[in-house]
Amino acid sequence: MRRLLHALILGLLGAGIVHIVVLFLVPEFSERDAWSRLAMASDLYRMTRLDAEAGGAPVVKSVDPLFYAAACRFDLADGLVRIKAPGDVPFWSASVYDRSGHNIYSFNDHNANGEKLDAVVLTPAQMIDVRRDLPEDLQGAIFVEAPIEEGIFVVRAFVPDESWKPIVSRFLEQSACELQDY
Amino acid sequence: MLKNAILTLLSLAMAIGLGGYSVWYALNAQDGVGAIRIGRWTAFPEMGTLAADPYSKARVAREGVLALGQAEGLAFVAERDESGEPLKRECTYSIEGGYPTARFWTLYAADQSLGVIDTGKTRQSALQSYEVLRQPDNSVVITVGNRPAPGNWLLTGGSGKMYFVLTFYDTPIASSTGLSDVTLPRILKAGCNA
Repeated sequence: MRRLLHALILGLLGAGIVHIVVLFLVPEFSERDAWSRLAMASDLYRMTRLDAEAGGAPVVKSVDPLFYAAACRFDLADGLVRIKAPGDVPFWSASVYDRSGHNIYSFNDHNANGEKLDAVVLTPAQMIDVRRDLPEDLQGAIFVEAPIEEGIFVVRAFVPDESWKPIVSRFLEQSACELQDY
Repeated sequence: MLKNAILTLLSLAMAIGLGGYSVWYALNAQDGVGAIRIGRWTAFPEMGTLAADPYSKARVAREGVLALGQAEGLAFVAERDESGEPLKRECTYSIEGGYPTARFWTLYAADQSLGVIDTGKTRQSALQSYEVLRQPDNSVVITVGNRPAPGNWLLTGGSGKMYFVLTFYDTPIASSTGLSDVTLPRILKAGCNA
């Protein structure tokens, strides 16, 4: 009887340890995180629609039904990445996520120059290089310093009603995500 | 000898079974560590940031969520009405009250996975603040149900559990200091179609 009790207590202790270990291993080994889902849908530096509107199931879930969104994956080890989108929409916001889906930095159209989306994501080391001699066409861009290598850039745009759908769709389809030379 | 082996097996099975199940249970529960409750509404302001707790980090990784950033907005989820009853898709609700400062907000009825309810109709079960009718005191009354209603009507349909997701965009309440004196609308049950 005492040995059974001993085994039960040991089992409970073990359950606690397993709980903690599993909890910390889930983010490491998840194959369903945003990065993996995007990797299945498209290549690096390719803007991909996240909402279901573009056909097929949504790539990353829990996107507001009144929003369209697009994302691209980048790797700062290759160089700086520049994200641009033309046109006017009622509201857009953008976020930079690291490899495991943590939001590193976010901004919206009121933070941007002339409400145009033009952002450069780069590492602090690259920032020092760029500051030394800032290229003319990067003058108006928002610089996002992120201490990461692989990451995800997400643009969300508000669709107030039906009539805005084509305009917001065009805004996201014409958005570009490319490596920038400097 | 055999008794020893069985006891060891029992301990191991308990450890792995209970440990695994408790993580699964904790990750599926709607509220958890780091939740902020205002009335019946719950939000996770730190979800998806580096400051988040291990539970929401695991949830983010498992569900592939890309959480809204602070400059983007903050989402509140309600799963119960004012009297504490779970929200049902076959019932009619009235969501009334004022809303905190934000550039705009959206409200939609969601299923278990927090995706918008598919009503099979062209009208979406989502509303946003630019299109709602307001009371003289700037508060908003929204009727939720599967029958058309005068004023603001949020279409739902089907049966089963329902959630309301209320998201504020470009709002000062997303920074934690603003959350202390925020009031959110109340969810009142008006009736059910059996």
